[in-house]
Amino acid sequence: MGKLWLICIASISILLPFLCNAFSPETPTDRRVLVLLDDFAIMSSHSLYFNALKSRGFDLEFKLADDPKIALQRYGQYLYDALILFCPSVERFGGSIDVAAIVNFVDSGHDLIVAADVNASDLIREVGTECGVDFDEDPSAMVIDHIGYAVSGTEGDHTLIASDDFIKSDVILGGKKIEAPILFRGIGHAVSPANSLVLKVLSASPSAYSANPKSKLSTPPPLTGSAISLVSIVQARNNARLLITGSLSMFSNRFFRSGVQKAGSQTKHEKSGNEQFLTEISKWIFHERGHLKAVNVKHHRVGETDEPALYRINDELEYAVEIYEWSGTSWEPYVANDVQLQFYMMSPYVLKTLSSDKKGLYSTSFKVPDVYGVFQFKVEHQKLGYTSLSLSKQIPVRPYRHNEYERFIPAAYPYYGAAFSMMAGFFIFSFAHLYSK
Amino acid sequence: MARRLAGFLVLLLVVSICEAAFLFQPISDSHRSAALELFTPDHGSFKSLEETYEALRTFQILGIEKKPDLTATACRSISETVGSSSSTAKDLFYALKANSIAECKIDKKASKGIISRLNASVSGASSLLDFYYSVGGLVLIKDQSSEADVHLADAEGVFRSVKAFSQSDGRWRYSSNNPESSAFAAGIALETLAGIVSLASSEIDQSLISTLKNDIIKLFDSIEKYDDGALYFDDKLVDGHEYQGPLSTTSSVLRGLTAFAAVTAENLNLPGDKMLGLAKFFLGICVPGDAKDFFNQIDSLACLESNRVSIPLILSFPSTVLSLTRKDSLKVGVSTVLGSEVPSLTVKLVGAFSSGSKDASLVESQELNFDKASGLYILNGLPKSIDVGSYTFVFEVVLHEPEHEEVYFMGSQTKVPISVTGLIKVENSEIAVLDSDLGSIESQKKLDLAGKNAISLSANHLQKLRLSFQLTTPHGRSFKPHQAFLKLRHESKVEHIFVVGNSGKQFEIVLNFLGLVEKFFYLSGKYDMELTIGDAAMENSLLVAIGHIELDLPEAPEKAPRPPPQPVDPYSRYGPKAEITHIFRAPEKRPPQELSLAFLGLTILPLLGFLIGLLRLGVNLKNFPTKPVPATFAVLFHVGIGAVLLLYVFFWVKLDLFQTLKLLGFLGVFLVFVGHRILSHLAAASAKLKSA
Repeated sequence: MGKLWLICIASISILLPFLCNAFSPETPTDRRVLVLLDDFAIMSSHSLYFNALKSRGFDLEFKLADDPKIALQRYGQYLYDALILFCPSVERFGGSIDVAAIVNFVDSGHDLIVAADVNASDLIREVGTECGVDFDEDPSAMVIDHIGYAVSGTEGDHTLIASDDFIKSDVILGGKKIEAPILFRGIGHAVSPANSLVLKVLSASPSAYSANPKSKLSTPPPLTGSAISLVSIVQARNNARLLITGSLSMFSNRFFRSGVQKAGSQTKHEKSGNEQFLTEISKWIFHERGHLKAVNVKHHRVGETDEPALYRINDELEYAVEIYEWSGTSWEPYVANDVQLQFYMMSPYVLKTLSSDKKGLYSTSFKVPDVYGVFQFKVEHQKLGYTSLSLSKQIPVRPYRHNEYERFIPAAYPYYGAAFSMMAGFFIFSFAHLYSK
Repeated sequence: MARRLAGFLVLLLVVSICEAAFLFQPISDSHRSAALELFTPDHGSFKSLEETYEALRTFQILGIEKKPDLTATACRSISETVGSSSSTAKDLFYALKANSIAECKIDKKASKGIISRLNASVSGASSLLDFYYSVGGLVLIKDQSSEADVHLADAEGVFRSVKAFSQSDGRWRYSSNNPESSAFAAGIALETLAGIVSLASSEIDQSLISTLKNDIIKLFDSIEKYDDGALYFDDKLVDGHEYQGPLSTTSSVLRGLTAFAAVTAENLNLPGDKMLGLAKFFLGICVPGDAKDFFNQIDSLACLESNRVSIPLILSFPSTVLSLTRKDSLKVGVSTVLGSEVPSLTVKLVGAFSSGSKDASLVESQELNFDKASGLYILNGLPKSIDVGSYTFVFEVVLHEPEHEEVYFMGSQTKVPISVTGLIKVENSEIAVLDSDLGSIESQKKLDLAGKNAISLSANHLQKLRLSFQLTTPHGRSFKPHQAFLKLRHESKVEHIFVVGNSGKQFEIVLNFLGLVEKFFYLSGKYDMELTIGDAAMENSLLVAIGHIELDLPEAPEKAPRPPPQPVDPYSRYGPKAEITHIFRAPEKRPPQELSLAFLGLTILPLLGFLIGLLRLGVNLKNFPTKPVPATFAVLFHVGIGAVLLLYVFFWVKLDLFQTLKLLGFLGVFLVFVGHRILSHLAAASAKLKSA
């Protein structure tokens, strides 16, 4: 018996690492992150960022990007929930990792953080392209801003940018306003306008441009103004979340601790906004914010509690769903006023905003349309920064049965009257005909 | 190889993140605050004595006031380790190291016991680390208590057995059965050997010391170099679990070197620039985020500050961006790596070169004045020949006392990139629409690029737009900014950017719309114009909206390129949709109820007429059977008919078709039976009557 237990425990402990999966509403915790570095010195120079992640319970595993033993999956199971690429100069990943493996990793719902930098390798650019952003092709180009630069006593080339053009979304950047500008030095990228999944989180100012600061410009730079994205995020259709930035140094301890004063502004901030910005955005990336789940979808006729198998046209019905948001430790009620329900057959027949009780319960009631067929209850909730919620439930709607129509229509009384008077006449006539002499 | 190269590149990157390349700052307050953050004991004490020592040593070097409780808890764990008989040489070593700073009391009996135990472990040692801990422990005891008589009986023998681990390239092995050698081990070995020399009761053979000297020089031959002059040691065995990384390795070598230089009387003949290179390496990593790295950095810098080989001096610059407008003066600080004072010296500006050009120096050699209050060397006022732009200044440091040259090392010349900024004058800016064929000016307008402009122009595709302005530096020279863009933005957000070219001071751009029609996607309409002029040396970089131009371009031919799609505003992409409510079919229109009832009344009228007609005809019931049996049948027959008719009424009121048909079936059979009886009776009666 004891032996059996030992085998059990041993097999569980062997299997345990392989049981880890992407973020799922069922097992949202226990997340392992693989961090690929060009050099272990980054562990020390960027330790504040890593420590912030560790203190939130992430299990970081640091590896050199060209370590021949690294792998994302073994025996078809992913070993990690997320991947951080802090290796801008890697030409070829070690082990079994390549761009296709990273794309597959994301396609199976895992999260990814990519930091490129000046002289980023083609490999990292390719990863960026797969994620939907295009880094400036000139290898020595940097984002330069002669108006929005950070004042510094030692850096005179205006490549250290103080940017404060954030996306307006509390769910991505947290509820607390980021007061200090973000220090950024690196390459810019452009977001394809056709790609609706990529969002610019931090954009450059209108006066910025991307060019090599050391050479004269003869042709217009490919990226200028606020079209340059400094930090972008992607939320894939499978809710995998990605962060792409052209600066590795913005994660560094030095930028985290450094004070910042934007050129032309008198306020000098003690600390740059980098720490708050990157920590908040990592909460979003790792699904500690903005991940929704919907449970307890219920619908029934008004005044009843059981869910019917089908509805009749013109029935009054009630629909309710509970929506919760993951807060990193628990599921909290999701509060919003724009969750909408569609009653759908080929196109929505009814589209109604659900009312919320602020405790996660959303409900509404409406009258079934007088069209019969197979309908769907659809909740398609898409909101900036939140995972998309897509619920659908099929429900048939039937017409009236023959005996469900109105029985005594006053307008038809003359017809009834005629028939009954005819019948009375016949009754009397039967006497008159048979017995009259 | 690829990995080493990658590592090299990134470390370089990290170095360049720290400071603009080629500039190093001595240790400052940011290190002190970082030290307090990094060395925070959890629950009052550190995890191990090694960490306690590292924290105490870092605080000591940085001059941070130790918290008394930190020392007290350290003392408690030191005396525990020292008192326990089971603690290993390593534990004892770190306990004594921590004690060298904490200065706790260790009772004599315990220290005697330690001495004998450490002596025993020296004689029983078989690996480099065994020797390191036990010899190190003995040296620490000797330093801490003057009374204890600590010496190695067979110092030369121990020296030889440690020396046996050395390799021909100056690296060392950890033990005789481990073939891998490393620079990290070399540092440990040097420290151990220095300990042995100081513990030796008699002189060590000079030939041993001189072979060791050669080893050190060989070790320094394998030193590696970054672009900015920083030197470091790194071990080639990346896969070995003893691999320490360049910082620990370099730190270990430096510690060993300092210890060895301190005990030997000989000059090690290491060139000063090697020490300067090491100093640059340690200063280049800025503030490490890891406690171990931090300790290694600070401890190594302390070694560099106090070593007997040569003490590197660092030139530091409070600011390398100088503004002509504010009349900034160039300030230079000279200090040791930890930022302490240096002997009297002179800082000279030897030359200044415009970066990118290899012309002769722009300034004559001159000395900088020393300012006692700030401790900085100041160049009052920039030379007239220095205009805005970026330059490389070359400095030279000369020590006043010749004997200091033995101790300190500065490097011959230090090159520093300096950027000079100033206000650029923007003049004669104007914008005009020209007729293409003649070049005659159709409409010309002055621009005020410093203020607001709201110019409105109109042009067709046969005309040209000309924008011109002049830029001059504060010293009246022509200035070419890095960024001089004219941006035209159509109402549909399609943007076109043009670089404004120059000839001397005059900047001019002519847009010939005829040639640009295709580029503009044949989009007529209002174009907003925006001019951006910016440069790193320009303090008044500007981004001004000039106004707009109304372009009248020809219709697009069929094959013309379409404008690229413009990004959709992410805020409008989401958000609630408009509500939809189903429009129900309107109920049929019905006549008013009164009308229906009136017609109901009308339908009764024929029945009344029928009844009146029957009465008029004089209908009677004389034929009704008189005999009881036929009379019963007659009654039943009519009751049956009545029941059928009543069933029809019920069918209307509540019954459905199936119930009705069922009942009608029974009633029908009954009616056929009784009907047949009464009708046949009536037929028989009437036949009788006829025949009669």
